Amino acid sequence: MEKNKEELLTLAIESSCDETSAAVLRGGREILANIISTQIPIHQKFGGVVPEIASRKHIVNIMPVIDECLRTAGVELKDIDQVAVTYGPGLVGALLVGVSAAKSLAFSLGKPLIGVNHLEGHIFANFLAAPDLEPPFMALVVSGGHTALVDVQGYNRFRMMGQTRDDAAGEAFDKIARVMGLPYPGGPRIDALAKEGDPMAIDFPQALTEKGNYEFSFSGLKSAVLNYINSEKMKGHELNKADIAASFQRSVIEVLVGKAFQAVKEAGRDTLVLAGGVAANSGLEARLREEAEKRGVRFLYPSKILCTDNAAMIGCRGYYQALAGGFSDLYLNAVPGLSLTDK
Amino acid sequence: MSILAIDTATQVSSVAVADEGRLLSELTMQGKLTHSETLLPHIEQVLKMAAVNKEDLTGIAISNGPGSFTGLRIGLAAAKAMSYALHIPLVGVSTLKALAYQLPVPGVRLMCLLDAQKGNAYVESYRWQDSLLQLAEAVKVAKISDIVAGCGKLNEQVILLGDAVQKKIVGKMELPENVQAAMPHLMMPRAAAVAMLGLRELAAGHTDNVMDLEPVYIRRSEAEVLWEKRHPEEAKPTKPTEEM
Ligand SMILES: [Zn+2]
Repeated sequence: MEKNKEELLTLAIESSCDETSAAVLRGGREILANIISTQIPIHQKFGGVVPEIASRKHIVNIMPVIDECLRTAGVELKDIDQVAVTYGPGLVGALLVGVSAAKSLAFSLGKPLIGVNHLEGHIFANFLAAPDLEPPFMALVVSGGHTALVDVQGYNRFRMMGQTRDDAAGEAFDKIARVMGLPYPGGPRIDALAKEGDPMAIDFPQALTEKGNYEFSFSGLKSAVLNYINSEKMKGHELNKADIAASFQRSVIEVLVGKAFQAVKEAGRDTLVLAGGVAANSGLEARLREEAEKRGVRFLYPSKILCTDNAAMIGCRGYYQALAGGFSDLYLNAVPGLSLTDK
Repeated sequence: MSILAIDTATQVSSVAVADEGRLLSELTMQGKLTHSETLLPHIEQVLKMAAVNKEDLTGIAISNGPGSFTGLRIGLAAAKAMSYALHIPLVGVSTLKALAYQLPVPGVRLMCLLDAQKGNAYVESYRWQDSLLQLAEAVKVAKISDIVAGCGKLNEQVILLGDAVQKKIVGKMELPENVQAAMPHLMMPRAAAVAMLGLRELAAGHTDNVMDLEPVYIRRSEAEVLWEKRHPEEAKPTKPTEEM
């Protein structure tokens, strides 16, 4: 007898960057286990993720993480109904460890394989955070390498409103943190510093702010901040890091908030969700919340754990993708440059 | 007892199924597709060709380096997951030893070279003595040109094997009189040799731990080497070369 789809057990694997993660979901939204092994302390001394070191950690961590995940979930591997895995975007060597393990598990179990887009996974983290959330809604995706506005019209129907033309917001955060001598990962450090600074202290530029333009560009802002820091150093001034962080963060946030609510309005949505690693930024979250309240828009964002790279969100995306027949074959390869597209 | 063997240490993709004394099937190719794409479909195929159900496998042997870092990890991740899912033992086999195992020729030095980038190779040499493959010189990283020159000074016949020979030596370097390259079909890694070595290891009760087995890289990542150069005071004393 075929299993009720609410009872389907999905094993998900995520290894696109510096976290090795495995999760088991029952149905699309019930997390039985979500184990995340982070490598952040290992990469810290290098000031960023070193791809070869990340891959070496993944191949050591992958089986213990899967094993612990199954034990935590209280599920036997043979009871798993399908295997979902991140196949991009991300670091190719890191992705390949998860993809290879997932394919081998699916083959060994004789169960279907589902290749999942990591960025779609970030959006779907919101379904785990808010059990009553249903499409349609607008999603603002802000992660290390990507900034995008996606109109989620159905579980398998997305319309790209616009995305980044050059640097993603997350890249600008990391670069500026590095130049200010803040330890990796820079995003949360800038967020914390910004709270102590004056966001109006320095006037940094905001790009592509004309109405109806949903593309993002942060390279100009990044250069402006770097130039400012250099010229202050040349003048022998001591850097007011808190003011720089606050002013830079304001520029990023105002662009994101402005475009997000414009998109909500244009698409006629009543809900906005935030997705991706940078979603953990408290300044961004606070401004979006404030603006949403003003406009009567429902605003959601995942908990801190579900914002970071984790396999539960991949399992959730995989589950809904599989309902629409979105399976992969054993030729599935890692696609490091995979992007979000219309579906 | 049926074993599945995998070798993705070089650009060759090779998988084989064997039982004691018989190679049941082997699929070896140097093609355009990546290991990531072909490995699982090839595993499916060799099992079918051998008429062996995956549930009837009793072990997995993985060619575990040295070699291409990414290639090694693709093979090992697949081998580990399969060993875990099918509840069968996993054993790692030296890629260099498996190369030498293909040429059971007594009285010559088998010099196995795997590409280590930038004109270097991981090199290890073997001799057959009393029908046993004996290690002559343990693995090290050296310039390929120095390795070839060094072979010329040896007082014995030398046969060169490995992907570094195919890529960097044949047709590109003059070989000393006592040195020759193996024939093309014997020069590159093949899972049949990995399977035979793996069967012996398993019969001897040797297995590796699925939870923590790592490829034998020999080399650390460039980022670590660079970091230690810049922070000599914090650098840990280097580990002795890994045992093969
Ligand atoms: Zn992410």
